[in-house]
Amino acid sequence: MENLKKNIKDMLESGEIAGFLGLIEEEGHPIPFLFTKDSLDKLDALTVPDIRYPMTDILLKIVRKYPEDTIGVMVRGCDDRALIELAKNQKILSDLIRPIGVACTKEMAEYCRCSQPYPREIHYGEKVEGVKDRSDLEKVESMDLSDRLDYWMGQFSKCIKCYGCRNICSMCFCDQCTLEDDTLILTGQAPPEIPIFHLIRAFHMAGRCIDCGLCEEACPAHIPLRSLYRKVREDMADYLGYVTGMDETERDPLEFLGSDGYEVPTKIDET
Amino acid sequence: MEYQTVRTTCTYCGTGCGVLLEVLDGEVIGTLPQKDHPINEGKLCIKGWNAHEFIYADGRLTKPLIRKGDKLEEASWDEALQYVAKRFLELKEKYGPDSLGCFSSAKCTNEENYLLQKIFRAVIGTNNVDHCARL
Amino acid sequence: MAGLAAAFGSGAMTNSVPEFEDADCILITGSNTTSSHPLIASRIMTAKAKGAKIIVIDPRRTHMAALADIHVKQNLGSDVAWINGLMHIILKEGWHNQSFIDERTEGFEELKKVIENYTPEKVEEITGIPKETLREIAEIYAKSEKSSIVYCMGITQHITGTDNVKSLANLAMLTGQIGRPSTGVNPLRGQNNVQGSTDMAAIPNKYPGYQDVTSDEVREKFEKAWGGPLSPNVGLTVVEMINAIEEGKLKGLYILGENPMISDPDSTHVEKALDDIEFLVVQDIFLTETARKADVVLPGSSFAEKDGTYTGTDRRLQKIRKAIEPLGDAKEDWEILCLVGKAMGSKGFDFASPSEVFDELAELTPIYHGIDYDRIEHEIIHWPCRDKDDPGSPYLHKDGFARGKGLFTAIEYKPPAELPDDEYPHQLTTGRLPFHYHTGTMTRVSPSLTHEVNEAFIELHPEDAKSLGVRNGEKVRVSSRRGSIEVKVMLTPGIKKGVAFIPFHFVEAAANRLTNAAALDPIAKIPEYKVCAIKIEKLDGREA
Ligand code: SF4
Ligand code: SF4
Ligand code: SF4
Ligand code: SF4
Ligand code: SF4
Repeated sequence: MENLKKNIKDMLESGEIAGFLGLIEEEGHPIPFLFTKDSLDKLDALTVPDIRYPMTDILLKIVRKYPEDTIGVMVRGCDDRALIELAKNQKILSDLIRPIGVACTKEMAEYCRCSQPYPREIHYGEKVEGVKDRSDLEKVESMDLSDRLDYWMGQFSKCIKCYGCRNICSMCFCDQCTLEDDTLILTGQAPPEIPIFHLIRAFHMAGRCIDCGLCEEACPAHIPLRSLYRKVREDMADYLGYVTGMDETERDPLEFLGSDGYEVPTKIDET
Repeated sequence: MEYQTVRTTCTYCGTGCGVLLEVLDGEVIGTLPQKDHPINEGKLCIKGWNAHEFIYADGRLTKPLIRKGDKLEEASWDEALQYVAKRFLELKEKYGPDSLGCFSSAKCTNEENYLLQKIFRAVIGTNNVDHCARL
Repeated sequence: MAGLAAAFGSGAMTNSVPEFEDADCILITGSNTTSSHPLIASRIMTAKAKGAKIIVIDPRRTHMAALADIHVKQNLGSDVAWINGLMHIILKEGWHNQSFIDERTEGFEELKKVIENYTPEKVEEITGIPKETLREIAEIYAKSEKSSIVYCMGITQHITGTDNVKSLANLAMLTGQIGRPSTGVNPLRGQNNVQGSTDMAAIPNKYPGYQDVTSDEVREKFEKAWGGPLSPNVGLTVVEMINAIEEGKLKGLYILGENPMISDPDSTHVEKALDDIEFLVVQDIFLTETARKADVVLPGSSFAEKDGTYTGTDRRLQKIRKAIEPLGDAKEDWEILCLVGKAMGSKGFDFASPSEVFDELAELTPIYHGIDYDRIEHEIIHWPCRDKDDPGSPYLHKDGFARGKGLFTAIEYKPPAELPDDEYPHQLTTGRLPFHYHTGTMTRVSPSLTHEVNEAFIELHPEDAKSLGVRNGEKVRVSSRRGSIEVKVMLTPGIKKGVAFIPFHFVEAAANRLTNAAALDPIAKIPEYKVCAIKIEKLDGREA
């Protein structure tokens, strides 16, 4: 930890980065914070907690205002994958981002059922192997089609339309969100129109979702959103050979769809 | 370049979810759910997620106003406070303490509610104190 | 609140929010929890996933109702009848908890006599709830290990509001479903600090902490603390103050952060009173309809601009923290109030921070006595918390009720004040939307929320619409004996036939122009917002 703090301090003092987005512990609660040259004293409170905030989503808000500055950011494996996709979508310039990588613990990897619980470069923590656990998907796949539909409709009907799944997602960066397009989804209704609301988002996550699970954690209706997006992610890998967030050079096969909002897909996925 | 998050409580219902207000260069730009809050555990409803949106809304009052004829005109704090105190004390003198009253607020803090009822009970001398939300 | 206080000695939610998760049965009435308290609904959904039975009794098929295991639509204002009906069945079947009744309650014999008459047949006739369903609900509620009751304004905003609440308390005591984790009778407070503002005595008959203004002993304590004589007389409620203005008795009014022009029932009446009053001060963040009538407007601050505490619906103390300075020349509200106190020449307002104000109020309020700013930084504390070693009380009435014995009250069903007739053949009920808050002063300037809905509407059953000859989306005139508004029709099969619903957030079509303010619950003085008679007319020749 002391090395990490020193590392960040040096980068800030030397001017290599204008700010470092990490977390501080305040009265026992970890919260996001941007360290700058003027707040080096806060580094004492730097923390790498088990709870997760949407670091790359916050990063985008800062980059939008300071597009020319170099900014450091604490990343876990999933955040790092988000950086890769954000760069491909031209939301950030990789040259202006200094990721400081944190490897997740075994417990976290298990909690997240994460296949790659570490970033490209690790500055803190010990790398542990990923967890191969598709039990959530297997459960759904074992149902016949009509049960599967009932299952998902039952889940979606709990939705209170908080938009939390979208708000917390680093990959939901569109200026105009289809979910708020009232020609597609009636406004003012909770639950929103199902399954269209959830399927639109699921389709949009193809080639975007980096499987961080923040959406599911944020869902007040406890809808297993991640399983849904995982299925989409798997399909991308199976049919298009593309694993989202893994390779900086490979192009997203769905890139032609554009990055500022999508057309509505017409096919209904039978996950 | 300054970004910090401030732990606070959503102001939209009695559930009292923990939120973080995101402050970028002195301006509130967003709301995040507090992940380790015992009530909402990192989740919010649509009102909570947008709890910051009304802060800078058009029409926020930024100056005291005093009625001059049928118009409300800007005034200094000193003028406004003196006027409020003077008029209330005059009315109390003329019609007695029970000719005055207050509606306190279920949207305001405990401290504010305490202070307002203290003004009416201890300074004016009436128990005409109530709030608008009746449940 | 008056109802619960009479039964238990405390009007607050008996249990805490996280406890819902572990209940085996949750009976929800008069609360569309997913709309008004979404993060409590979230806990209820977890309970359901863990196997709890969710029962909703509501005249509308709300989102919460759609997620429930059992939903029944009762006739508006028939709550005492179905609750008595449940108790009738429970007693008949021997599902009550005799030892709890013997050891912890009083008044049971009188109750027994009254509920004797509420046979399932009679109850079905009054309430419209089929007797088989009533029996099923009675069995699940009484026999589950931990059953919890949740209610909101749909229960209290009736002339029989206090009776309704007392009846729910009867039901919980009869079955011993109170005084343990995940049980109890739980009123969900609408606005963020309803609980705290009542705790802090924004009510005419109490000092902070529910200490009677009429008690000499209490008054002496406060006279000593506040340094001067205090009035021994109970004050006026909001509705009584409005009437007192009309009678020329109330001359000066101070309104803090409220917009009674919209929130009060019968707003036409309120408007007139505010026009007539001699001196009106409004402290708010917007120039609301009410502030426009003021003689002085003091600019306060939003929750992001000040420090302080809220008391959540489950008696939990929480901090709000200042993120930015008040806008322009506006000031933090606690500071404004201190300045007003000082301007009136009082010495009792020399506070440097809200935390100092809190220390004074905690000193005088036994249920807050052990709480301070430092503790709530680190702990979750539910009042009562009587000293610094007291961890607080997530649930109440563990070993005894706050009033000693729990009090059963025998209550007969009374119909609503205003029943439909030939001239006003429909019934109106009002409520919230998930996207807006209260009178909309804050939410209707929030783009993400107005994007969802920004217009009032009236929910009608398709068959009612058909007989009126109106279509979905068409504008209609809705009138009651007190006023009339124009709103768009929204058809929904989820509402009881003959009943209409209008959300109350919209100034330009304020549902409260229609509701019946004259019909007050005699004890809680809560107006009957939830049921009145209306007529719905087509606006001929005019398109929406
Ligand atoms: S998803 Fe993987 S990388 Fe991200 S926090 Fe969980 S374990 Fe770590
Ligand atoms: S349009 Fe789709 S991808 Fe974009 S923000 Fe909305 S849900 Fe996310
Ligand atoms: S897991 Fe959820 S929050 Fe994370 S990238 Fe995928 S969709 Fe977004
Ligand atoms: S987070 Fe859950 S409840 Fe909220 S909009 Fe998404 S799916 Fe619906
Ligand atoms: S986030 Fe929603 S449920 Fe939570 S306090 Fe705010 S309004 Fe209430």
